[in-house]
Amino acid sequence: MRWYFRAVGAKRIIAFIVLALFVIFFLGPLLNLLILAFTGRWNYPDVLPHEWSLKWWTFVFQQEDIANSMGLSFLIAAIVTGLSIVLCIPAAYAFARIRFPLSRFFLFSFLLTHAFPKMGLYVSIAVLFYKLGLMNTLAGVVLIHMINVLMYMTWIPTASFRNIHAAQEESARDVGAGPFLVFRRITLPMAMPGILVASIFTFLNSLDEAQGTFLVGIPNYKTMPIVMYSIISDYPAYAGAVFSIILTAPTVILLLAAQRFVSADVMASGFQVK
Amino acid sequence: MSKKMKMGVLGLLLVTPSFLVLLVIVVLPIVLSFKESLKNKSGGYDLSNYEYLFTDKLMRSNIIFTLEVTVISCVLVLIISYALAAFMRFSQGMAVRWIKRLYMIPLFIPSVIATYGLIQLLGNHGWANRLLLAAHMGQLPRIIFDIKGIIIASLWFNIPFTTMLLGSALTAIPNSIVESAKDVGAGRLQIFFRFILPMTYKTLLVAVTFVFMGVIGSFTAPFLLGPNAPQMLGVSMEQVFSVFHEKEQAAALAFFTFLLCSGLGYFYIRSMIAEESVKNALLG
Repeated sequence: MRWYFRAVGAKRIIAFIVLALFVIFFLGPLLNLLILAFTGRWNYPDVLPHEWSLKWWTFVFQQEDIANSMGLSFLIAAIVTGLSIVLCIPAAYAFARIRFPLSRFFLFSFLLTHAFPKMGLYVSIAVLFYKLGLMNTLAGVVLIHMINVLMYMTWIPTASFRNIHAAQEESARDVGAGPFLVFRRITLPMAMPGILVASIFTFLNSLDEAQGTFLVGIPNYKTMPIVMYSIISDYPAYAGAVFSIILTAPTVILLLAAQRFVSADVMASGFQVK
Repeated sequence: MSKKMKMGVLGLLLVTPSFLVLLVIVVLPIVLSFKESLKNKSGGYDLSNYEYLFTDKLMRSNIIFTLEVTVISCVLVLIISYALAAFMRFSQGMAVRWIKRLYMIPLFIPSVIATYGLIQLLGNHGWANRLLLAAHMGQLPRIIFDIKGIIIASLWFNIPFTTMLLGSALTAIPNSIVESAKDVGAGRLQIFFRFILPMTYKTLLVAVTFVFMGVIGSFTAPFLLGPNAPQMLGVSMEQVFSVFHEKEQAAALAFFTFLLCSGLGYFYIRSMIAEESVKNALLG
């Protein structure tokens, strides 16, 4: 009996250590930034700040390039999301519902976006954009943001369209609804959760994209992550921490809002066949 | 025109726009960068840019450094993620519930922010050192602006996603298999090597692909917290392209990373296609 209790105890202790290491490693850096953002003064080697304050928040909002970068980032993310919906949703519908030649080839061609190391792909794109005169243009930045989202913007909605039973559409057709009415009133609403999740991922992905923009968008298209690159070297840590929270806030807000729809299952369908 | 043909044309029309974007941002750049990488200084075509990669001392040390970081990161990420996923699959309790709740968070944190957090936490005067000092436990070795920093950042970025992939593969293993193996007297190690590993090794290979390519193609973390020399290839590529304006050399570097990953990339696409065929066959 004693041996049994001791074994359970050891298991509990190991579980607790795993959790502690996990929290320290993954959440420690984020907690550190959260503390820094509300710090007034924090001398080395004190463990906690001397004074708390919001002064770095006013400082950050007074910097003109920071405010500009926020507007630009949201504009680009909105364009990327809108454009990828218009381009990819029809394709997703076709993959799920229409039999056409080479459809498997087209579906799997989107895997190519994940089959190359990212920075190598970005540099190759930059070489192409250089020839086409797309460097330092809005079109260039939008296109480079499309790489990361093209696949799940196609695959997640494809999975949602496939999950709708054809019988539901057919019964609407039987009572006399035309194909467009059926699509708008039956198919689209039922596929909406998947489309919504894919769109949110797209929006967030574009908002956070740094490497590609850094390569093709400099100097005119300084989005928030690009400004963050220079904040890290030019500003005190407190200002950097404040800006980090501003940059992370949209992610937190949108994910909480869409929590109902976001699951590991939906996410996985963006990377593998479901 | 028959109805079947009409639908075929409609399908092609619906797919064409997104496929064109794919051509412009993936296929065309790769073909062009290959052509560009073969251009020499006098306008002809030869392998001089690739020769440079292997003869220049700095480049060679960059390549070795990148491979070193990538291999170490891959091994560590896979061991830790597999252990974590197995722990989440086969244990219960409060700790497991909390890890399940928290482990997806890093997937959604912008890479710049996470890197910055790591710099602040692990830097010379960072929070970790302050805490260690207060507890009289000495000092951390130099992590930021060192190879250790890049590896730690790779762990931070890759463990959650890999754990998610492996976790879904482990969840698919029915409890009954493990139970019946136990009933006939199989030990833990035997169960692992005979049943669990063979049933998840395909996902494991997909995970290796993602981690390997993710680390070789990384830029943000090594750019912000890596040493000045040697550099990761991602950072070196950016510098060759944007600072030195050597497009042909940058293209050669990019194509070299493609070659390093080509086997894994091919495997990834093939296994995805195979999986879909199996599913289609089952669905009839």
